[in-house]
Amino acid sequence: MSSDQTRDDPITERRLGRGDFLKLGALTAGTGILAACGADDAPEPSGAGGTTGAAEPAEEHPPIEQEQGNLEVFEWAGYEYPAYGGEDGVLKPYIDQRGKPKFTFLTSDDQALGRVRAGYRPDIVHPCVDYTGNWVEMGVVQPWDTSLLTNFADLEEPLVTGGQIDGQQYFIPADWGFSSPLYRSDHVEPDGEESWALFYDDRYEGKISWWDSPLENFVIWGYVNGIEDPWEMTDEQLDEARDFLMSKKHLCRNFWSSQTDLDADIAAGNIWIAYAWAGSYVAARDAGLDVVYSEPKEGRLGWNCGFVLGAETENFRHAHEFVDIWSSVESAEWIINNYAYGHANTSVDLAKVPEDYVSVFHLDNPEARQEPNAHYARPVTTERRAAYAQRWDEVKAA
Amino acid sequence: MAVEAEKIAPPESARGFPGRPRPALVTTGLLAPPVLWLGVFFLVPVVLIFLYSVNVFAFFPGTQGFSLDAWRNFLDGSPFLDLFWKSVRMSLIVSVVAVVAAYPIAYYLALIASKRKYVLLLLILAPFLVSYFLRILALKVILGDQGVINSFLFWTGIRAEGDPVPWLLYSQFTVILTLIYVYVPFVALPIFVTLESLDRRLLEAAADLGASRWQTFRKVTLPLSLPGVIAAFIFVFIPTTGEYFTPLLVGGVGGTMFGNAIADQFGQSLNWLNGSVLSFFLLVVVAVLMGIFARYLTIRRVATG
Repeated sequence: MSSDQTRDDPITERRLGRGDFLKLGALTAGTGILAACGADDAPEPSGAGGTTGAAEPAEEHPPIEQEQGNLEVFEWAGYEYPAYGGEDGVLKPYIDQRGKPKFTFLTSDDQALGRVRAGYRPDIVHPCVDYTGNWVEMGVVQPWDTSLLTNFADLEEPLVTGGQIDGQQYFIPADWGFSSPLYRSDHVEPDGEESWALFYDDRYEGKISWWDSPLENFVIWGYVNGIEDPWEMTDEQLDEARDFLMSKKHLCRNFWSSQTDLDADIAAGNIWIAYAWAGSYVAARDAGLDVVYSEPKEGRLGWNCGFVLGAETENFRHAHEFVDIWSSVESAEWIINNYAYGHANTSVDLAKVPEDYVSVFHLDNPEARQEPNAHYARPVTTERRAAYAQRWDEVKAA
Repeated sequence: MAVEAEKIAPPESARGFPGRPRPALVTTGLLAPPVLWLGVFFLVPVVLIFLYSVNVFAFFPGTQGFSLDAWRNFLDGSPFLDLFWKSVRMSLIVSVVAVVAAYPIAYYLALIASKRKYVLLLLILAPFLVSYFLRILALKVILGDQGVINSFLFWTGIRAEGDPVPWLLYSQFTVILTLIYVYVPFVALPIFVTLESLDRRLLEAAADLGASRWQTFRKVTLPLSLPGVIAAFIFVFIPTTGEYFTPLLVGGVGGTMFGNAIADQFGQSLNWLNGSVLSFFLLVVVAVLMGIFARYLTIRRVATG
C-alpha cells in the first residue's frame, strides 16, 4: 500500500492491506467450517422472527438456590439501588429475597463494550439495542430464557423483536426515550421551523452544547443535510461532516458527557441549547426554567436500552429474576414518573403520569417514535463506528 | 520475610563489623520491592503500549501485524500533534506562573515568618483537605455566566447585564487558572525546602559587603535556590502536560488537552492503536525534556541540595 493512498483515505486503506484480505479470507473460511461442524449438534433456532427461543432449556441451569447469587450489574448511573425506585421501591423485593447486586457503572455503550472486551465479566449489562449485534459478535452474551420472565408478555412487540438476533432473544428491552434539542425559551428563539440546525445557529455562539459522542453529531448533520441513511454514511460524507463540525465547534461552550453537569450548566445559564434526553427536560422544568424540548422537522432521535446476559454467568436465574422485576409495570410507572423515559412495559396507566410528559414525549402515541417521525439509533458495524469515531476525535482535537 | 531478616543479621563471625549487616544484601533487600513494582506496573505496561502502537498487539484480534502507519499518520500533520504542542504550551504557562507565584510564598515562609512558618505552611496545604472535584465545582460557581465574578461585573456596570465574560468558564484560560491554583502549594514546598536550608551567613556576608537587598536576592538567594525552583517546575510540568481531569471538567471546547485525546482513543473510540501512539509519544517527549533539564539545569544539585 503506498503512502499516498494512506493519506487519501486513512481509515479504509489502512485496514485492508493485502495481508488483511488473506487473513480475512482465512477467518471467513474457518468460521464457515466451524459453523458447518456445529450445525449438527446445535439446537435448531426457533426460526427467524420467532418470539421466544431460548439458547438452551432452563433445566440445564441449576436451581436458583445453588447459584452463587453475587449478581453483578453493569449499569447506567441512576439505575442502581436505591437510586432506581427508591429505598423501598421497585428493586426492593429482589433485594429482600436475593441480596443487593453489585452495581458497576458504564458511561456509554462504547465504553462498556471496551471494558468487557478488555476482560470485565458482569452478569448483566444494560446496553442499547443498536449495540446488541456488537455484543453478540464479541461472543460475551447468551440469549435469555424468556419463559423465566413473567412480565415478558407485557413488553412492547416492536421493541421485543428489535432485541432478537437469529430468532434468539439476546436483548430484553427496558427503557426508551428521545434525544432532541432542548433550549431555554427565555433566551432562544428558533429561526423559523424547529430544526436540529439550531445547533449551528451563529446567534447563540458560546451557549450551545453538543453531546460528546462519536456517532450522533454526524448523524444529526446527516439528517439536517438530507442524507439518506445518516447511520451509514460514506467516508466522503463523513469527511464533509467533519469539516463542517470543525467550522461550527466554536459555537459550543462545551461537549457534554455527564448529564448532571449539563443540567447544572443549563440551570446556571452557561448553556442555552443542548442535545438532551428527557431527564434534562425534567431537571430544567423542576428548576422552574422555561424550556422547550424541541420537535425538529428532521425528526427526533430515539434510543432503546435494555439487558444482555453474560455468556459465562453463574447467576443465570438470579439475572432473570432481576430483569423480570425491571420489566414490571411498577418499574415502568416509576421510570416514567421520575425520569420521563418510556418503558417497554405497555400496561402503564397514563392517567398516573404528569400530563406534559405524555404530550412532550408522546407516551400515548407509539407512531410518534417510529420512522419517519423519529429515528431510533440503528446498528453500526464496529468498522464503520471506528470511521465515525476517528473523525469525531479529530473534531475535538482540532 | 524471615529470609530477609536472616540476610540482614548474619552471624558475627562472618563480618568484620560485629552486629552490622552486609551492605550489599541490605541494599538489594530494600531495593527489590520497589524495583519489582516499577518493573511490573510501569516498565512492562510501557513495553506493551509500545507494541500496541506498532500494531504487534491489536485491540481486535486478527488485525495485528507490525506496521508504522499509525506513527506516520500521527507525525504527518495530524490534529493530535497540534493538540500536543498546545498542551505543552498550556503546561509551560502553568509551570512558569505557578513557580513565580509560589516563590514569594516560599521566601516569606522560609526567611521571614520565623516562628509561625510551620503553621502557615499547614494553612497553605489546607485546600488539599477538600476533594479536588469539590474545589472545581466551587470554581464553576465563581466563574460561570451568572457566577460570582460576572455578577459583580454586572453590579458595577463594567459589563452589561446579560453580557457575561464568556471565557471565564469552559476555556483554555479556565484550565490554566485551575491548574495554577491547584499546583501553587505543591510548588511552594520544594522552594521552601531549599530556602530553608540556605546558609544565612551568606546573606549577612552580602549585607556586610554592601549589597542592597535586591542585589543579595539576585546574586545569592536566587542562584542558591535554583535547584528548588527547577524541581518545582518539573513537579508541575510533567503531570500537567498529560492532564486529563481538569480540562474534562472546565476546559469546554477550547481547553481540551492531549490527555483527553488519549483517553478518548482508548475509551470512546476503541482505537488502542492510535491511543498507544499518542501515549508513547507523550512519554518519550517528556522523558527527553527531563533529560535536557537534568543535563543543563543541574538537576543533580536538587537531589543533593
